[in-house]
Amino acid sequence: MEAQTTTGKFVVPIGPQHPALKEPGHFEFTVDGEIVTGASVRLGFVHRGIEKGAEARNWVQNMYMVERVCGICSHVHATAYALGVEQLAGVTAPPRAQAIRELVAELERVHSHMLWLGVAAHEGGFDTLFMYSWRDRETVMDLLEAICGNRVHYSVNLLGGVKYDIDDKLADQLRKGVDFLEGRCEHYMKVVTTDETFVGRTKNVGKMSKEEAYELGSVGPTARASGVDRDIRIDAPYVSYEQFPVKLITDDAGDLQARFVVRIKELYESFRLIREILDHMPEGELTVKVPRRIPAGEAISRVEAPRGELLYFLKSNGTDIPDRVKIRTPSLCNWSSVVNYAVGHKLADMPMLLAGIDPCFSCNDRSVTIHRGGNVQNDWSWEQLRQYGIAYYR
Amino acid sequence: MFRGLWTTFKSMFEKPVTVAYPEQKRPVRERFKGRHVLKRYDNGLEKCIGCALCAAACPSDAIFVEASENTDEQRYSPGERYASTYEINMLRCIYCGFCEDACPTEAIVLGDNYELSFTGRNQAIYDKNMLLEPVPSGGLPTPQVTEPGRFTRSVPEMKDPVD
Ligand code: SF4
Ligand code: SF4
Repeated sequence: MEAQTTTGKFVVPIGPQHPALKEPGHFEFTVDGEIVTGASVRLGFVHRGIEKGAEARNWVQNMYMVERVCGICSHVHATAYALGVEQLAGVTAPPRAQAIRELVAELERVHSHMLWLGVAAHEGGFDTLFMYSWRDRETVMDLLEAICGNRVHYSVNLLGGVKYDIDDKLADQLRKGVDFLEGRCEHYMKVVTTDETFVGRTKNVGKMSKEEAYELGSVGPTARASGVDRDIRIDAPYVSYEQFPVKLITDDAGDLQARFVVRIKELYESFRLIREILDHMPEGELTVKVPRRIPAGEAISRVEAPRGELLYFLKSNGTDIPDRVKIRTPSLCNWSSVVNYAVGHKLADMPMLLAGIDPCFSCNDRSVTIHRGGNVQNDWSWEQLRQYGIAYYR
Repeated sequence: MFRGLWTTFKSMFEKPVTVAYPEQKRPVRERFKGRHVLKRYDNGLEKCIGCALCAAACPSDAIFVEASENTDEQRYSPGERYASTYEINMLRCIYCGFCEDACPTEAIVLGDNYELSFTGRNQAIYDKNMLLEPVPSGGLPTPQVTEPGRFTRSVPEMKDPVD
């Protein structure tokens, strides 16, 4: 993905090993002195072939597969997938299962945003905030572990329902944890908006206007920090978001600070939702039966991951193995915003700007094709690829 | 700046949140999914009947099962067959617990051991001896000699599991 041409200038390559973030990605910044005049990004270093792998496993096994697309938002991937399959099979999960899905999704959002808060602070050289927020994040990790036994891959979803129930003891534990976290988040909000050094590094840095955000197709908190009112939880409510709605949180500033503020405000929203769900948990069954063979057809399901809109396209041919599973992850949509708003800032601001979209590199395990007009043939068929491989190794 | 230092100062008197692993250990949660254990009945017979349903369910092809016939002179498990080879490749396993769900006799259970480390790929393959739990007190080790006609039913009567 090239945003600007990079000829005849001084180029600073960063990555692919540890480009400030602890994950592989390659960036090239053209600089004029200290100021960045162009940026480009190369992704795909963590390609694992998950979509192809999904075509060799049955519908149930894929549930576990898609959960492993990303370690941070594993639950939303599974939810999106399960919703798609349920749509194809013509069933809906019972209300209690939907509520538990939403509950875990919100807990996951809390965990993801707190993780991001730490990472972004760390990139800005504010390691104290990093340590504190990660310490407090342990609380939500513990809660998730209490619900499902795992810290990372929750495996709460099943096709047609959820696996784990929330009993009163667990609910009390959750309420206590959420109360504690809410107090801590108020503290962070104060730090983010009043701490002088922090404000100095974030205010008016990496500004992106609403129009730009629309044009570059930003999603999630990155777009909402620029005033774009886009949230799948509100625009197309899935699971039980209709019953327990969220409030849309936007900020018009569009700078790095707004991205902090939006995310922390979303945390408050999540806390409120978690309490509401716990108080009004619908009674009933946890699962419905889903057939082993899924009727032929195509389905699209969209959910709001912590980083933005996540889209699944599923195609079934009537057997127990999917024909195609296409995943469009949120981080991928946000890269173009970074390469755009990075221009004009100091090189030293880059790590923080990169971290500002909450990039998830396991999300980037996909390919991007950019059509710039003209007659460039970029798509290769299997056969062409095979011939190329044979010729290459001859 | 002083407010920042005050935060630091305050936290000097807080209880540390870290655990001095491996000297101290945090208890695992009830629903934690750790290393597998192959269960036995109280009389020492193995629960696994070698049906390989777990191997079929496994999303990452981590399980290999080979079944052999039980006889009354050499009985490993109730019913006709038992698993003569049972291997799990711990490097492939993703600890999803799907094998646990698939098993008709609740023979394979994900335990609470999370301390798996190996120095070679071969060591990552856990065989049946490593996975089987020790014989419970009052039970006999397998193979047992049993009277004919007593253990004909391979899948026991069970109630729904909780957690
Ligand atoms: S826990 Fe999952 S991956 Fe591991 S052996 Fe069982 S089914 Fe396979
Ligand atoms: S562990 Fe269970 S599912 Fe696997 S072979 Fe044995 S009885 Fe069958």
